[in-house]
Amino acid sequence: MISFITNFTSAIDSLAKVHRLLPWLIAYVLLLFLPNLITATFGEYYVDLANRCCLFILLAVGLNIVKGFCGQVTVGHIGLYAIGAVTSALLAQNYGMPFWLSAPLAILVTCFAGLVVGLPSVRLEGAYLALATLGLGESVRIMIAVTPALGSSTGIMMIPAPTIGNYVIESFDHYFYLVMTAAIIGIYFSFVILNSSTGRAFKAIREDVIAASVSGINVPFYKLLAFVISAIYAGLAGALFAHMPPGYLHHNNFTVIEMVTLLLMVVLGGIGNIWGGVVGAIVVTVIYDQTKDYYFYQPLIFGITMVFLVVFMPRGIGGVIEQAIVKRKFIEKHEEQNLGTS
Amino acid sequence: MALLETRSLSKSFGGLKAVSGVDLKVQPGTVHGLIGPNGSGKSTFFNLVTGVYQPDPGSHIEFNGNDITYLQAHGIAALGMARTFQLLRLFSEMTVLENVMVGNHCKTSYGIVESLLGTSRVRHADQKMKEEMLDLLEFIGLANFADIPAGELSGGQRRLLALGRAIAMKPKLLLLDEPGAGLSPVNVDKLMETILALKGRYKLTVVVVEHILKVVMSTCETISVLDHGQKIAEGPPEMIKDDHAVIEAYLGRELPDEEIRNAIRGQ
Repeated sequence: MISFITNFTSAIDSLAKVHRLLPWLIAYVLLLFLPNLITATFGEYYVDLANRCCLFILLAVGLNIVKGFCGQVTVGHIGLYAIGAVTSALLAQNYGMPFWLSAPLAILVTCFAGLVVGLPSVRLEGAYLALATLGLGESVRIMIAVTPALGSSTGIMMIPAPTIGNYVIESFDHYFYLVMTAAIIGIYFSFVILNSSTGRAFKAIREDVIAASVSGINVPFYKLLAFVISAIYAGLAGALFAHMPPGYLHHNNFTVIEMVTLLLMVVLGGIGNIWGGVVGAIVVTVIYDQTKDYYFYQPLIFGITMVFLVVFMPRGIGGVIEQAIVKRKFIEKHEEQNLGTS
Repeated sequence: MALLETRSLSKSFGGLKAVSGVDLKVQPGTVHGLIGPNGSGKSTFFNLVTGVYQPDPGSHIEFNGNDITYLQAHGIAALGMARTFQLLRLFSEMTVLENVMVGNHCKTSYGIVESLLGTSRVRHADQKMKEEMLDLLEFIGLANFADIPAGELSGGQRRLLALGRAIAMKPKLLLLDEPGAGLSPVNVDKLMETILALKGRYKLTVVVVEHILKVVMSTCETISVLDHGQKIAEGPPEMIKDDHAVIEAYLGRELPDEEIRNAIRGQ
């Protein structure tokens, strides 16, 4: 298993040497065939599931930036997702804006909301920050639930689907191209951020705030920046969710349970590991969907899984694989050196 | 002109005066020792100068001609002051190379928006910086460990890395908080050699807090002695060695025989 992954990553590395975007383009082209494949083997319903996977990938990758890279425990991410969704839906419905205008505006609004959710992080840490952000996230949902203009208990219906010229993107497999593109771009940029000075500043803050600040990192600024970047991801996912066929959203999509599911994705995949978050999002979304019949037990099972993960596999799937790869590389390097000296 | 100057620097925690009224001048290009018994305020002094703590009103700190009394830590770092910690505070889950690259944060040549978009300028600048940092790791002898997490290094290597991270900032002034703590005498000598070599290579001024007096006496040009938050002596090592106040602070006061006899009798 591990050797397969190392071979796979080295193959990707050699592709990236030709051009750094080449592996991304190949992955993109391959994914274009996925809806046909899924429809042929499983049925059209599963394309919808794949769409939801892509949305949760965006959410998980965004959450990983603020929680995994920067180490800020936020439970308000789902609130940002809600703000993105409702803003885009209302702009499209009430002002007749096309998706391509309402979505960027929704992202902008979500950024400001992200800034507000992030403000407590300047003063608070750990569990206290989690409580503060939980309050903010949940109050967003309650606002939506009680305000008729925001949908209240009936939800917002008939949200127009995105259009290109005269063409309306309203079938599941065509919507897949839209959310998949967004997910790929989101993953790509989270790698860019991780490998830049900004990403290193985030990680330094996660590891040691005081050492980071005497190394010249403006800690409050970078904390807020992490929240704003994650809000961009959440806003985009929200807008895509609102316009996804059948164009309906309800405040039940933004509950604390959803937030815990989202956290489970990130923890299962590996906190601070981008591909781990992607794998976690896919695994959890699929399992969640396939066990719908037992919805009564879902929170219980998910909660227990979370506890076991934190105790026995704190770095998640991604962390375990990453460690195995690092170990293997280290051993190989030493063997080479030993061969060289003897 | 002094590179670092403090005037009546004070800091109280509740009723405790950790540092009170310290006037200190560090001349450029020197190695300045700061010694004193445990709890004498050495670490607090470092924390005040580097902006980790805010000093009490009335204090004044000047660095390289800038008033830095109430600047935040990252602002002071950007002016060219680097420090190490007694407990190191490495970024232990980041690789050795990433640790020194964080140290170089202030010298990043591209803006934040650019870094988020990953423009070609960012990639080139990062590549150049990486080479520079590998060069630094080579100099302190950690190049072979560049890709492993800092938490997996041995104790001595961690001390070197902490030093490397501070040097990566290309500072004018380097504050070392007990660089030799927990090292064997041989390794302390090696570390001091490395520090002096780095000082020559990067044209640094160094302030060092150290408990091992042998090290301080042999490497520092000027020594300041703190006790109970106050400066009790200052001068070249030969002078400090014979200073009565210093001996008293470290060993206690020497009493005449008669007084001791009386004390034993309980009079």
